[in-house]
Amino acid sequence: MPDERLLHETTSLCATCLDAVPARVVATPAGEVWMRKACPAHGEQAARLSTDAAWYEATRAIAPRPSPPPRVAREVERGCPFDCGPCASHAQRVRMPVVTITSACDLACPICYVHNKNDDAFHMPPDEFARVLERLVADAGGELDLINLTGGEPTLHPRLLDLVRLCREAGVRRVSICSHGLGLAKDPDLLAGLAALEARIALSFDTFDAGVDAELKGVRSVAQKLRCLELLDRAGVDTTLIPVMTRGRNDHEIGAILDLALRTACVRHVEVHTVTYAGQGGTSFDRSGRISMVEVLERIAETTGGLLGPADFVPSPSAHPLCYQIAYLLVNPRGGPPVPFTRFLARDDLYAALADHLYLEPGPRLERALQDAIDRLWAQGDDSRALGLLNDLLRTLFPPGRPLERAEALRAAERAVKAVYVHSHMDAETFDVERAYLCCDANVRTDGTQVPVCNDNVLYRDKEPRFMATPRAWGPRAGGRRVLPVVG
Amino acid sequence: MRLRDKRCLITGGSRGLGRALVTTFARHGARVAFTYSTHDGDAAEAARLVEAAGGAASRVFKGSVADPAHVKATVDALAAEWGGLDVLVNNAAVTQVLPISLLEEADWDLVMDTNVKGAYLMTRAALRHMIRRRAGHVLMIGNFASERVIEAPAHYAASKAALRGLTDALAREVGRHGVRVNLLAPGLLDVGMSRALPQHRQDEYVARAPLGRLGRAEEVAEFAAFLCSDESAFTTAAKVVVDGGL
Repeated sequence: MPDERLLHETTSLCATCLDAVPARVVATPAGEVWMRKACPAHGEQAARLSTDAAWYEATRAIAPRPSPPPRVAREVERGCPFDCGPCASHAQRVRMPVVTITSACDLACPICYVHNKNDDAFHMPPDEFARVLERLVADAGGELDLINLTGGEPTLHPRLLDLVRLCREAGVRRVSICSHGLGLAKDPDLLAGLAALEARIALSFDTFDAGVDAELKGVRSVAQKLRCLELLDRAGVDTTLIPVMTRGRNDHEIGAILDLALRTACVRHVEVHTVTYAGQGGTSFDRSGRISMVEVLERIAETTGGLLGPADFVPSPSAHPLCYQIAYLLVNPRGGPPVPFTRFLARDDLYAALADHLYLEPGPRLERALQDAIDRLWAQGDDSRALGLLNDLLRTLFPPGRPLERAEALRAAERAVKAVYVHSHMDAETFDVERAYLCCDANVRTDGTQVPVCNDNVLYRDKEPRFMATPRAWGPRAGGRRVLPVVG
Repeated sequence: MRLRDKRCLITGGSRGLGRALVTTFARHGARVAFTYSTHDGDAAEAARLVEAAGGAASRVFKGSVADPAHVKATVDALAAEWGGLDVLVNNAAVTQVLPISLLEEADWDLVMDTNVKGAYLMTRAALRHMIRRRAGHVLMIGNFASERVIEAPAHYAASKAALRGLTDALAREVGRHGVRVNLLAPGLLDVGMSRALPQHRQDEYVARAPLGRLGRAEEVAEFAAFLCSDESAFTTAAKVVVDGGL
C-alpha cells in the first residue's frame, strides 16, 4: 500500500493452508501496524497487529537477553516453525513448561484456541508424566521452578492429585493447573487435595456478564466461577485469574476483573490473554474481537482510573517483547489502592529484576533495586505511599523478635505483591517467526520435545491422535521452499 | 566435662544459638540458668533439652535484658541459690533487616537496648559476684557483622561492634580481679536470622566461605564452652571469629 512504512519483514503462515509465507509488517498512515502477506494458493491476507505503531516499534526494539535452550532436539530442516523440539535456531529456553495432561473438556468454548477430544479421551498416565517431569527437572539443572498442567480441563484427569504429588516429590517449586473452575466449585475433596499439595490454580475468568460469558465460553458460569474463587480463597490456594480479552465484548470489564483480583487475597497474578484465532473454537470466532496488546494496556488504564497505565508495564526479558507485558503492584495490607512498582522503580530496573524467570523472584538484582528505591524516596523527602508500604513490607519480612522461616518470608512477600501479565498469543493470521524464535512457553511432550505454545496451538496439536479423532496432515508446502516477499 | 559444676547464666537461651549454648553447657557438666523474653514454649523446650543433656534442672527467667529490674532479680536469685556465678554469656540480641533510610530512632533504641545495654546491665550485675570471688568469665556473643566487611543492618552491626569495645575495656579493667572477658563472633549459622534471609544471601555466604557451608550452632557452642572453661584460663580480651573463614 502506498504511504505505508515498512517496519520489518518476517515469515508468517497462510491462514488457510498454514504453509509458511513471507510477510511484511507495516505502519499505516493512521498509526496502526498491520501484517501483510500473500499465499500463492490463497491470495493476499492482512491482520492488524497493533493500534499504535509508535508503541509497537518502541516495544519491539527491546531486545531480550539471549538465553538459548540447554538442549537442541532437532536440527533446522524445514525452517521455523516446522522444526520445533526446540530446533537449533530457537533462541530462548523454556521458562513456562506446559504439560497437556488430558484431552477431555466438559465445555466447548467458542474462543477455545486448542483442540480437545472427549471420545476416547487421552489422560496422561502417571508413569508417562513422571518421564516428562524427570526430563524437565534435568533440563532445569535439577531445580524446576515452575510447571503448568493444562488440558482440556485438567481437573477431569482421574489422577490429577497423583500428578501434582509427583511434581512435589520432584521438588518443583510452583505447580499451576489451568481450570475453568466449574469442577473445583463442586468437588471440595479435589480442591482440598490440591490445596494440601500447595498447587496453584490458573482460573479462567473472562467476564461478570452472563451474556458475554455465553458468547465466549458457551455457558453461563459467572456465579460458579465466583464461587470457585471464594473456595480457593478460603483454602488459601494461590490463584491466577486468566481473562481472555476480546474487543468490544469484555475489554471494558478488565478494570473490574483487576479489582476482583486485588480484593481477593489468594489471587497472586492476573494473566490477561488476547483472544487468539486458533484451535477448535477460536478459528471461527468473530474477527471483530481481535484486540492487540497495547489496546489491552489502554483499556486497563481507562478502566482502573489510572491505577495502572501502559508505562507501568515492561516486557519479559525471557520472551519476545511483543509477547508479554508485565506490571507488579505493591499491595497495601490495610486497604487502599496498591502502588505499581514502576512508581518507585525505574522500568529498566524492573525489567532487569525479571531476568531469568518469568515471574519476579527474590534475588540480588531485585534486592538492590528495592534498596535503591527506598533510599531514593527517603533522600528526596518523598512522603509517598510507596515508601510507607515498602517500610511495612520489610518490617513484616524481618520482625525484630523472632525471624520468619524463609518459606514464611517468601509467602509474606508474595502476599504483599500482585502482578498483571498481558500475554498476547499468536494465531496463523498474526504469526511472526521472530516471536516464535523467542518463545519461552513450551508444550512439553512425552518424547521430550518442546513446542512453543503458539506453534503448538496453530500447527502441531491438530496433527496428534491424542487430541484429534482424525488428525490433520501437514500441508504439502509446510516449511518447504520459501518465495521472496511479494506483497507491498 | 569442661564446665563441671560451673554456675553459668546464658541470656537469650530459649532458641537458636542460645539453645545450643544451654544444652552444650549442660552436656559439659555446667549448672545452667538462662533468660528469655517472649516465647514460653521455646523456653520450655530448651529447659527440657538441658535436662536431656544430663544437666540439673535449669533455672529459667523470663524478661528483657534491657530491664534493670529483671536483670537484678535474675542475678540476685542465682546468687542466693547458687552462692555466686562463674560464667555469664551475653547472648540475647535482636536484629532487624532495615536500611538506614527506614531505621527509626525506636528501631535503633530497641537493638541498642537489648544488644548493648542488656550486656552492660547483665555484666555489671554479674561482676559484683565475680569480683568478690576474684574469678569468673564473661563471654560476649558478637557477630561477624562487626568483624568483616559485609552488608548488615547498621544498628545491629554497631551494637555488635560496641560489644568489642566493651570486651576490650572490661577485660583490662577487671583482669586484675581474676575475671576474664572475651568475645565470640559467629558467622552465618543454620539457626536464627539466616533462616529468614533470601536464599541468594545464604548462597553468597557459602560461596565466599572457604569451608563452603553455614556454621552449626553446636560448633559455636562448643567453642564457647572451651572459652568459658579453665582450659582457656590465659585467654582474655580475645575476639574470636568462628565463621568458616570468611
